[in-house]
Amino acid sequence: MTDVADRTRRATPLGLLRRHRTALVVTAFLVLAVVVALLTGGGQTGRDATYDPDNAGTDGARAVARVLSDQGVELDVVRSAGALADAGAGTGTTVVVTSAEQLGASTVERLRRDTAGATVVVVDPGPALLDLLGLPGSAGDADTEQPVAASCDDPRYAGLDIEVDGATRMPGDGCFDDTLVTVDDLTLLGAPQLLTNDQVLRADNAAVALRLLGQQARVVWYVASYDDLVGDDGVDFWSLVPDWVRPGFGLLVLVVLALVLWRGRRLGPLATEPLPVVVRAIETTRSLGRLYRRSGDRGHAAATLRAATRARVRTRMRLGPATDEQTLVRDVARHVGRPEAEVADLLAATARPPATDRDLISLAAALAALEEEVRRS
Amino acid sequence: MALTGRTPLLVLLGLVAVLVRPAGSSVWLWLLLVLLLCGLDLLLAPRPSSLSVVRRPTGSVRTGHPAESLVVVTNDSTRTVRGVVRDAWQPTAGATSNRHPIRLAPGDRAGLTTPLLPRRRGDLRALGVTVRLPGPLGLVARQQTIDVPGTVRSLPPFESRKHLPSRLARLRDLDGRSAVRVRGQGTEFDSLREYVRGDDVRSIDWRASARTTNVVVRTWQPERDRRVVLVLDTSRTSAGRVDDVPRLDSAMDAALLLAALAARAGDRIDFVAGDRRVRSRLRSAGRRDVAATLQDAMADLRPVIAEADWDALAGAVQGFGRQRALVVLLTPLEPSAIEEGLLSVLPTLTRHHRVVLASVRDPELDRLAALRETIDDVYDAAAAEQAVARRRRTSELLTRLGVDVVDADAQRLPPALADHYLSLKAQGLL
Repeated sequence: MTDVADRTRRATPLGLLRRHRTALVVTAFLVLAVVVALLTGGGQTGRDATYDPDNAGTDGARAVARVLSDQGVELDVVRSAGALADAGAGTGTTVVVTSAEQLGASTVERLRRDTAGATVVVVDPGPALLDLLGLPGSAGDADTEQPVAASCDDPRYAGLDIEVDGATRMPGDGCFDDTLVTVDDLTLLGAPQLLTNDQVLRADNAAVALRLLGQQARVVWYVASYDDLVGDDGVDFWSLVPDWVRPGFGLLVLVVLALVLWRGRRLGPLATEPLPVVVRAIETTRSLGRLYRRSGDRGHAAATLRAATRARVRTRMRLGPATDEQTLVRDVARHVGRPEAEVADLLAATARPPATDRDLISLAAALAALEEEVRRS
Repeated sequence: MALTGRTPLLVLLGLVAVLVRPAGSSVWLWLLLVLLLCGLDLLLAPRPSSLSVVRRPTGSVRTGHPAESLVVVTNDSTRTVRGVVRDAWQPTAGATSNRHPIRLAPGDRAGLTTPLLPRRRGDLRALGVTVRLPGPLGLVARQQTIDVPGTVRSLPPFESRKHLPSRLARLRDLDGRSAVRVRGQGTEFDSLREYVRGDDVRSIDWRASARTTNVVVRTWQPERDRRVVLVLDTSRTSAGRVDDVPRLDSAMDAALLLAALAARAGDRIDFVAGDRRVRSRLRSAGRRDVAATLQDAMADLRPVIAEADWDALAGAVQGFGRQRALVVLLTPLEPSAIEEGLLSVLPTLTRHHRVVLASVRDPELDRLAALRETIDDVYDAAAAEQAVARRRRTSELLTRLGVDVVDADAQRLPPALADHYLSLKAQGLL
C-alpha cells in the first residue's frame, strides 16, 4: 500500500514539491543571498564609493573636493579610463586616483600613459596595485591614532600633524610615518582617511589634504572602476593561495590516480557462470493466449471454454464421454435447478458466440459459476 | 602487476616534499622517486611461477550441502614468499572466503581450504588460482592466474527421500510379514505358517491344515529380481520450468525415489538418459546403494535444446536385455512432442515391457484456466483449457496403447510414481 501511495505522490507536482522541500528552501535562500549581495556590495562603484568626490557620506571626500574647487582649482571628476584619457592630464595637473583597488594591470598601464608629466596621487594602494606600479612591498600598519608629525624634509608639510583611524605604511621613505611617500611624480597615500568627510577636520588633516592635492591649478579626480578591466586583468586565483597549494593539488591528482590503479586491479579475472536458459513451462500457453487476444477470435475462445466446462461437468456427474450434448444439458439443468434454455445457452457447442469482449468475460465467469454449482449440489 | 595500498600513501607523502619546496618540479621529482621505488620493488618481488599449486580432488556433494576444496601451495624458490592466493570458482559453487594469505619459507607448503556450498546441480568448475606476491617494500605485487582445473560434482538433491520410509513400510506390508496381504497373480509362494487373526481366510491352505491340528495359511512374497528401466528425457521439453525448477530436476527426484524403493524391493535398476543421443547409461546389478550411483550418473545432465530421438532411447532400453521390465519414461506430457516422437516406438516397447509415463504437471496451467477477471485472463484461460484438453487426449491415447500415465505436480510426482510402482508390484504386474 505504501508503495502505491509513494508512487502517486511522486507523480503529482505537489508531491514533487513536498519531496524536494529542503532542496527548494536551500536554493531559495541562496538566490536571495546572491541578490542581496549584488544589491548591497556591488554598489561601491557608484557615487557613494569610499573617497568619492561626490560622496557626502562619512567616508566620502566631497568636502575636500568642494574646498578645492572653491579655492579656484579646476576640478574634473572622471570615472573611467577613457574619460581620463580625454581629460588630457599632463604637466601642471594633479591626478588623484581613488577606488584604487579596482585598478588592474591594463588600467594601471593606461593611467601611467595618459598621465605622463602629471603628478599622480594614488589613494590607498593595496599590495597587488603596488606590485603593478613596480613598488612592491608594504611595511605594515602605521600608528596614526595619535597625531603623527610630518618628520620629513618636504617643506609642504612642515609642522603639520595627521590623525586618522587607520593607515598603512608605503614602501620607501616618506612623511607621516611613511604613510605619504613620493616617488618621482607618483605619490602614494597610505592614510586615505584624512580625505574623508568625517576625519578631514581632525588634527591638520585638512591642511595636508589641500596641500597634497592643491599644488597645481588643475586636479583630475579619477575614480577607478572594474568596468575598464580587460579579460585577464582580474586578480588571479592562484596568486591569492599559498604557493604550495598548486603543486599539492597536482600531487593529489596523482594520489587519486594511484588509488584508482590500486583498487581497479582485480585479484584474478571475474568468475563467470555458464547460465542455463530459463524457459517457463507455461510460456507457450501464455503466448497462445496472447495470440488469441491479438486475433480477437472470441468465438474460438468461447468454444474452448465451453468444451472444457462440458468435459469437467461430464466427469463430475459421471455421465461418460459418450453422452450427447442434449442429454448433458438436460441433466445439468435438472441437477442445478436452472431452466434448460439458460444452461444450453451456456454450455452448448451450437450456442451463440459472444459479440463483445465484455460478453466473453461474463460468459467465462458464468461457466465457472455453473461448474461451481454442479460441484456443490 | 598490481599496486598495493602503500603506493597511494607514498604518493601522498609527497605533500611534505611540496611543503618544503613548493614548486611544480618537486611533484615530478617525487613521482619519479615513487616510480623508481615501484620499479625496484617489482624487480625484487618473487615470481608467482616459483610456487607450485596443486588441487586435491573435491569429489561429490549433494546440492545445497557444504563441501571443501583443498589447494596445496608449495614454495619451490629459495626465498620466503608472502602474499595472497585466491581460489576462484564459478559463482554457483558458493566459494565464499576464497582469499587466503600465505607466508611460506623456502620448501614450505600450505593447504588452503576454500569452503564450497553448491547451489546448482552439475559439475561446477574452478576457474583458476590467482597468486599475488608483493615485493619487499610492499609497494607493487606480481600477479598471475594459474589454471588449476578442478570440479565439484553437485548431485541432485534427492528431496523426495523423505517419502522413502513410508513407501518402504508399504513394501514390507507386501512382503507378507504383516497382517495385510494382497494375493495376486504374479506373487510368489513363500512358505506355510500358522493362521493368525487378521489373515485373509482365502489364503488358508486347506490341504496343509488337514495334516496338522492348526489352521495353516500360505504366505507369498512379492516378486523379486524384476527389472526396472528408468528412461530420463533430457530434450527441450524437459527444460521448461515449473515453479522455477526445471522439469528435468523434478523427474530426477522421482526417478531417484523409485530407484531407491525398487532396489530395496530386490529389483534391478537400469537407467538411460538422453535426447538426440544417449547421454548417460547405467546398469546396476541389484546393488543397494543404487540411489547414490544414480545421483552420480545424473549429476551432469542438463536439458538440451533438441528434440528427443525416441528410436535411439528405445534401442538403448532394448539393449539392456530382452527380459520383461518395467519401463518408466520420465518425460513431460507434451502432446506435440509425444505424438511426433514417442508414439512410433511405443508399440515395440509395450509388446515386451510394462510402460509407465511419468510427467510433471504444471499447476500454473490450472491457475491460468481458473482466472477469468479481464479479457486477457479469459483468452489465457481459453489457451490453458486448450492445453489441458490436448494433454488429456494424449493421456487417453497413451492409456489406450497400454501405457500407464502418472501426471502429477513436481512435489507429488515422486510419491505418486512410487505408489504406482507398489500397486503394480502388489498386483504382480511387473
